[in-house]
Amino acid sequence: MHVAKKEEIFPIDPNKTYSLMAIVEGDSLQVDKDPGDTVSSWPNLVLRELLLFLVVGIAVVAVSLLFNAPLEEPANALHSTNPAKAPWYFVGIQELVSYSAFLGGIVAPAGIVLSLLFLPYLDRNPAGVGVWFAKERRVATTLFTVFVVSMLVLIVIGQFLRGPNWTLYLPWK
Amino acid sequence: MSATVYTIRDSIKNLPKNIRSSVVRPVEGTQEQARAAAVFGNVFLHIHPARVHENSLRFSYTLGLGLISFYLFLILSVSGTLLMFYYTPSTQLAYHNMKDLEYVVSFGVILRNIHRWSAHAMVACVFLHMCRVFYTGSYKAPREFNWVVGVCLLLMTLFLSFTGYLLPWDQLAFWAITVGSNIAAYAPWIGEKIRFVILGGNEVGQMALIRFYVLHVALLPVVALILMGIHFWRIRKDGGLSRPAAE
Repeated sequence: MHVAKKEEIFPIDPNKTYSLMAIVEGDSLQVDKDPGDTVSSWPNLVLRELLLFLVVGIAVVAVSLLFNAPLEEPANALHSTNPAKAPWYFVGIQELVSYSAFLGGIVAPAGIVLSLLFLPYLDRNPAGVGVWFAKERRVATTLFTVFVVSMLVLIVIGQFLRGPNWTLYLPWK
Repeated sequence: MSATVYTIRDSIKNLPKNIRSSVVRPVEGTQEQARAAAVFGNVFLHIHPARVHENSLRFSYTLGLGLISFYLFLILSVSGTLLMFYYTPSTQLAYHNMKDLEYVVSFGVILRNIHRWSAHAMVACVFLHMCRVFYTGSYKAPREFNWVVGVCLLLMTLFLSFTGYLLPWDQLAFWAITVGSNIAAYAPWIGEKIRFVILGGNEVGQMALIRFYVLHVALLPVVALILMGIHFWRIRKDGGLSRPAAE
């Protein structure tokens, strides 16, 4: 904190009841913030949110009018479906399990969850925050894309390319 | 000083105005103040700041994925509550309830469709939301903990979807849960015990159905709601949505 030299910045004016006492350095909520790049939440944000709700609602109802949720025969513990598949979001894990039960079913999911949980404490360089696919974060972007694409590929293989006894087959056969 | 006279006549005459001003917190002042008051004077909107950064409004920045996930959660809560009126978590009745929804209950098919497709969409949107947060580097300080809360919310979404998957009690549900819970049994030493706790037995049956039902309609939604509260609160406390550093 610098004590201002009043005489230099503002000449003492007997008509003023206030004067510059000090200049504070560092961050506070409004230091260096331009009020010009904010807008009031009502109506700018709230109306956009309501509009998005309408879009989501219409999309859900439209899909629900067009496509029926699957319903198969009643559950029968004595007659297994072949192949029996997990829900689609776990089918990638199931595909890994078909290679190695322990590595695919336990190590891989636990590894994924733990690395996601610890990610923000391991990758701390603030460069490139707030920009899609920032140049400064090329390594992180590439690694994460490999993760996402491999999950998608495993899910597609498990969901569409696995037939009876979990053998590879083509979906149109 | 004359005291105000309260007459029944005036009360009745001003009834609509007085009721309105008692429900809606009164807003006075400049247009700017009124707009701010519209947000922080409203219990449903007060989670928002009075002013937001322009970058937070850019659809191409967020793609609205977090909000879409939340909306899908709302749609799922409402449609799920309605479905509960027609559903019994019993191996004898559950499948018949599905058939009744299809053929007997008015708009039952659409209700079930809405719940089913919203659930799939929510899993996808939460995952895509995570991708958006990653690719924009939004988990960096001071938002690390909110990312952790988000990962927990992704897990909650998966568990909610997984527990709901069993409830129709058809072949698809039964064998998907059998396969899914078998994966947990691959854990060394305690795998079989974990599966026993999940299913309430060694295989999918009545005990598993009631466990999944209670988790699906009571425990997991409450945990998810609490986590969502923390998630949204932390967005504000951490300074709003991430944005490029100021020039």
